[in-house]
Amino acid sequence: MMEVKNLTFSYGKDKQVLHGLNFTVEDGEIFGFLGPNGSGKSTTQKILTGILKGHGGKVSVFGQDISAAHEQEFFRKIGVLFEFPYLYTNLSAVDNLKYFSSFYPAGQLRDIGEVLEKLEFKPDFLQKPVSSYSKGMRQRVSMARALISSPKLLFLDEPTSGLDPSGAVLFRKIIEEEREKGTTVFLTTHNMSDADLLCDRVAFITDGTIAALDTPKRLKEQNGNHRIRIDYLYQGSREEKSIETRELEAGIPFPYDEIISIHSEEPTLEDVFIRYTGRGLA
Amino acid sequence: MWNHNGGSSNHVCINCRLTENSGEKRPGLRHFCFLFKKDCRVMAAGKFFLIAFGSLLLYTVFIHFGYINFMNDELYHVYLYDPQGTQREASERIYVVASLEELYDALAADTGGVGIDASSGTPNVVFYFGSEKVDHHRADYALSLLRADTGYAAKTIGTNTRELKQQKEMSCELLFIEITAVGFLGIASVLFQEKQMGVIRVHGVLPFQKSLFVLSKIAVFLLSDLVFAVLMTVCNVGFPDTIRILPAVLVQTAILSLIMALAGFGCTMLMHDLKQFSLVYLVIAVFVTAPVFLSANTSVKMAWIDWHPFYQVYMGLKNAYFGTPVTNPIYYVCSVFGIAVLFVAVQRLFCKEMGKEG
Repeated sequence: MMEVKNLTFSYGKDKQVLHGLNFTVEDGEIFGFLGPNGSGKSTTQKILTGILKGHGGKVSVFGQDISAAHEQEFFRKIGVLFEFPYLYTNLSAVDNLKYFSSFYPAGQLRDIGEVLEKLEFKPDFLQKPVSSYSKGMRQRVSMARALISSPKLLFLDEPTSGLDPSGAVLFRKIIEEEREKGTTVFLTTHNMSDADLLCDRVAFITDGTIAALDTPKRLKEQNGNHRIRIDYLYQGSREEKSIETRELEAGIPFPYDEIISIHSEEPTLEDVFIRYTGRGLA
Repeated sequence: MWNHNGGSSNHVCINCRLTENSGEKRPGLRHFCFLFKKDCRVMAAGKFFLIAFGSLLLYTVFIHFGYINFMNDELYHVYLYDPQGTQREASERIYVVASLEELYDALAADTGGVGIDASSGTPNVVFYFGSEKVDHHRADYALSLLRADTGYAAKTIGTNTRELKQQKEMSCELLFIEITAVGFLGIASVLFQEKQMGVIRVHGVLPFQKSLFVLSKIAVFLLSDLVFAVLMTVCNVGFPDTIRILPAVLVQTAILSLIMALAGFGCTMLMHDLKQFSLVYLVIAVFVTAPVFLSANTSVKMAWIDWHPFYQVYMGLKNAYFGTPVTNPIYYVCSVFGIAVLFVAVQRLFCKEMGKEG
């Protein structure tokens, strides 16, 4: 689906922001692209969505070099959810979606009402101007705009931003459903929980280079200390002990009366990210 | 609850109209229509058409009830001191005075008047206050009253009555102001709104030719300016004259409208917000329209004014109003070339804007 080889980009002569990125995204994969602000994440996404020209290296999407691809044909196959819900605030949700979908061939369009219903958009607001919507509702309309053209490749930038927990769960479910249909998803996010739950693979980008790329599970395993923390009761007092995972093979290696809880000391994806990049995701 | 049910018999599909009308044979034209329709809606929502209609009403009231009355002053009084009686054919409109002192007193009392001192046998024009460059027309008028049968005699050009001339003059000026100032601000306000909403970036990933976005905006403003020009002319010049001059007026309006809309579009893409844009607007007002009005409507002549493109366009519009449209092909070639260059520049700026950060 997508192949990026030695991707470089500079704003002007001296401001190089991408220093030779290499990665591939397979068909039907959810690929997470994680990095702090100013790491080159947005620039990479703009190059991949065909907005930014003049990059170095090679970027192939749908098996074709993006520089040589026919723009309109390319844009017909992609859907983009921007970081902010960019909408005509003086038009209603339906009018916004009607307008934005009007540029796609009718055959590939989904029904506006159906998509909005799936996103649990409040029907009372269908004909009201977007200026009267909450942030979550605007995000739903933006997501609907990205999905309305049944894209083969979906670029999602902070999809759960501005949503309440149930909205975030709904969005994750919808992204999963898209993947099941065969849609490839390129997910840019600060939200480690989203990345961990959704992504087949994640790439950590910092200062224009990829610091690590693998499945979230493997990244956590590779960077874990393989230890387990056990809370237990022994002779009337509560105690806690940390042991190596392999010590468990022969059972609990210390005396106890009752086991209260067992936790692996596996790092979170954010811990791994900080370990690789030396920076948080703020 | 919903207007659709995913396939049941009472399904009302919101996309249906789109689906039915979406032939892919001429997608460019179809996309243009959608852009144009949206732009009209955004402008209507921003009360742009209402403001233009309000301006039209205001201008019309001003021309009919203000300007014409204001300009209906008597001509300058002319005072002649001719002790030797050398000016025998002097008009009856001239007031003859008996002494030089009386001439100066008359001018002191009527500062707009013109004095002629013919005591030496040759008429010398005397002003209470005047400027060598500005007051040629007052001097010419005064001298024309001395000898009606000589080269000083004023000729009547054209068939316009004084009232009609004033109506045409002011209609032309207000139309020029409307397009250069109000139209320029209008496109900026619409585009800044779109910039703030971020929707320009969304257009960057939509499958249509990006030049259509610029074309659609320009087309909306062009159409609006042309309608405004028609109404302005009909309301203020009268229907019979409008029929005669309208084609030429519309051509000049179109040239000015395209230039201003493209200039406004370009400035909006370059400027960060409406505050910065206001500075550009000030520059336009001071350096573009002021010298044009000064040169075209007063005796102030600047040597370089012929090279001022807006002076040429303004004179083109004024000549169109007075039934003598520009026929020089160089003017039209330069206009088309200028518009084409502006269009290419604006398109590049627009593409750059689509790739900007959020």
